[in-house]
Amino acid sequence: MIPTDSGVEWQAIITSLSVAARSLAFTLPLAILLGWVLARKRFAGLAVLDALVHAPLVLPPVVVGYALLLTLGIQSPIGQWLDQVLGVRLVFTAEGAALAAGIVALPIMVRSIRLSLENIDPRLERAAASLGADPWDRFRSITLPLSLPGVLSAAILGFAISLGEFGAVITFAANVPGETQTLALAIYSALQIPGGEALALRLAMISLFIAMLALLAAEWLGRRAQRWHGKAST
Amino acid sequence: MADLPVLSIDVSIARESFLLECRLDIHGKCTAIFGPSGAGKSTLLDLINGNLAPDRGIIKLGKEILVDTSTQAFKAPYQRQIGWVPQDALLFPHLNVIDNLLFGHRRRRDPSHSSPSPHHVIGVLGLDRLLARWPRELSGGEKQRVALGRALLSNSKLLLLDEPLASLDTKKRSEILDLLDEIKHEFNIPIVHVTHSLAEVMRLADQLVLIDQGKIKAAGSIESLMGKADTPMLSDRRDAGSLLKLNDLTLVEGCPAVGLLEGQSLFLPLQAGEWKLPARALPLRVYVPAHEVILALEPPSGLSVRNKLACRIERLIPQTSQTMLVELSIGQQRLLASVTPAASEELGLRSGLPVYALIKSLSLDVPAGRNLLWDSEHL
Repeated sequence: MIPTDSGVEWQAIITSLSVAARSLAFTLPLAILLGWVLARKRFAGLAVLDALVHAPLVLPPVVVGYALLLTLGIQSPIGQWLDQVLGVRLVFTAEGAALAAGIVALPIMVRSIRLSLENIDPRLERAAASLGADPWDRFRSITLPLSLPGVLSAAILGFAISLGEFGAVITFAANVPGETQTLALAIYSALQIPGGEALALRLAMISLFIAMLALLAAEWLGRRAQRWHGKAST
Repeated sequence: MADLPVLSIDVSIARESFLLECRLDIHGKCTAIFGPSGAGKSTLLDLINGNLAPDRGIIKLGKEILVDTSTQAFKAPYQRQIGWVPQDALLFPHLNVIDNLLFGHRRRRDPSHSSPSPHHVIGVLGLDRLLARWPRELSGGEKQRVALGRALLSNSKLLLLDEPLASLDTKKRSEILDLLDEIKHEFNIPIVHVTHSLAEVMRLADQLVLIDQGKIKAAGSIESLMGKADTPMLSDRRDAGSLLKLNDLTLVEGCPAVGLLEGQSLFLPLQAGEWKLPARALPLRVYVPAHEVILALEPPSGLSVRNKLACRIERLIPQTSQTMLVELSIGQQRLLASVTPAASEELGLRSGLPVYALIKSLSLDVPAGRNLLWDSEHL
C-alpha cells in the first residue's frame, strides 16, 4: 500500500527530531567533557582516547551499529544486565536509535568544542584563580562562556548529524515506524515501495531544509566565535 | 603599617636554564624585584601566586603558609588572595569593564579583611566612563587600569605586578606609573613589582631585590642599594646614580621649586604648579645620575651650576679603567659621582675628604625615573 496522506512525513519528522534531541542530551555533556580533557589535559593514554573518540568518523556507520549490537544487544552480557536489572532495552527502541546516532555525531562535536577551548588563553583561568575563583567556578564563569559559540555550533552539528544518521541506526535500532524510523530511514523505506518516489522526494526535501538550516546556524555561530575571541576585531 | 603582612620566601626550584634559589623576606609597601629577562623573576612570581610549586622550601604570607614542602602543604592559587596584574592585563573578553572589575569583589573570601570599595577604586583609577565598555574597545593603558582595579577590588592581601608597563608606549607608561604611585599611597596593600625597568624601580619601590641567574644578588632599602658604589647590577651600569629623598619642598609661584636635603637647598627643575605635587608626594624622590655630578675641593663661584652640596667622601671604587665611582655622604643620604681615575688622582680624592658636589638642576631626574623613562625611548 502506498501511503498518500502526510501522516508518514510528520511521523518521520517527529521521530527524527525526538531521536536527535535525545541523542544531543547525552552527547553534548560528553562532548564538552571529552573536548575539555583533550584540549587541556596531558596524560599517557591521551592519544588512545583521541583515536577512540574519532573512530566513528572513519568507520562505516554500519560497523558502529554492529559494534553496539555486539556490546549492548539483547544477547550480550551488558544488554542482558540492562534489560533484566534496569529494564532498559536499547535494541529496536528510540533510545537505541539516539545512542547509535549520537556516537556517530560525537567526533565532530568533540572537535568543535576542543577547537574553541584551545582558542582560549589558559592564563585567563589563572587570572580568574588569582581573583578567588575555584576550578568549577572558573569553568563555569570563564571557560564555558568563552567556548559557548563552539559548544552551540557543536550542538547544532550534532543535532543535524543525528537527524540524518542511517547506517548505525538501522543496524542497531532497526526500521520501526513511529519508534526508530527517522527521515533517512523513511526515505529508504519509501524507495523500497514501488511508486514511493514522490514520498521519498518530499522527505528528502524536508531533510535538506532542516540540514541547511542547521548548517547555516552553525556557520553563523562559528563567525560569532571568531569575533568573540577578538580575531575579527582589532 | 606595622600590621602589613610579610612575605617570607625560602625556596629552590630547578628550571631548564637555571636553578632558582631564593631566601628572602619582603616587607614594606612596595618591593621591586629587578633583573634582566631570564633572571628567574617570573619563576619567583609563579611560586608566590601558586602557579608553580617549589622543589623544596616554604613560602609564608604573614603567618599563613602558602606552601611548605616539608609538610606537603600547598594552597591553590584561588585560595591565596594574591592579586595578579600581568603585562597584558588579561581582561575577560566576554565581560564588560564593570563585570571585570567586580569579578574578584563578588568572590571575596575574608570579610574581616577590609578591601577598598568599588566606588573608591573606580574614582582613583579614573574608570567612570569606561564601565560599560568591552575589553576589545579599550587601549592598552585603559586595559591595564582595569586590571589594576580588578586586582585591588578582589580583597587581596598582596598585589603582584608582573611587568605591568612593558607592553605600553612611553606616554602611557608614564601615566600608569603616576597611577601606581597613587595606588601605593591610597590603598593599604603591599605591592610586589617585578620589572626590568630601572625607571619603575626608582619611582615606586621602597625595597629592592636584585636577581640574576636565579640568585638574589642584593636586597634592601632602595636608597641604601642605590647610593652604594658596589651594589651588583646597579653600580656597574652606565646610568648608575643615586636616589635622594627630599622631605621638605618650597614652592613659590614663578620660581623653581627648592627642596631641602639634610639642611642644604636643592634647586629642582620644576616650577610650582608645573607638576602636581600633592602633600603625600613627600618625601620627593630625586634621581641623580653619577656622571652628572662634578666634584670640587673648594666652593666654586661664577658657574651656572645652582646646586653646590657640601659632602664627604666615603669611599672610592674603580668601575672600569675609565671610571671611578665616588660614594659621598650628605648627612644620612648617599650620593654617587663618577670621575676618571686621572681626575681623582689630580684632586687627591680619598675617603674622609670634604668636597662639594656640583649638580645642574636640569640633571636632576624628578620625580625619580621620569627622565630615564623618556630617555629609554631613544635607546
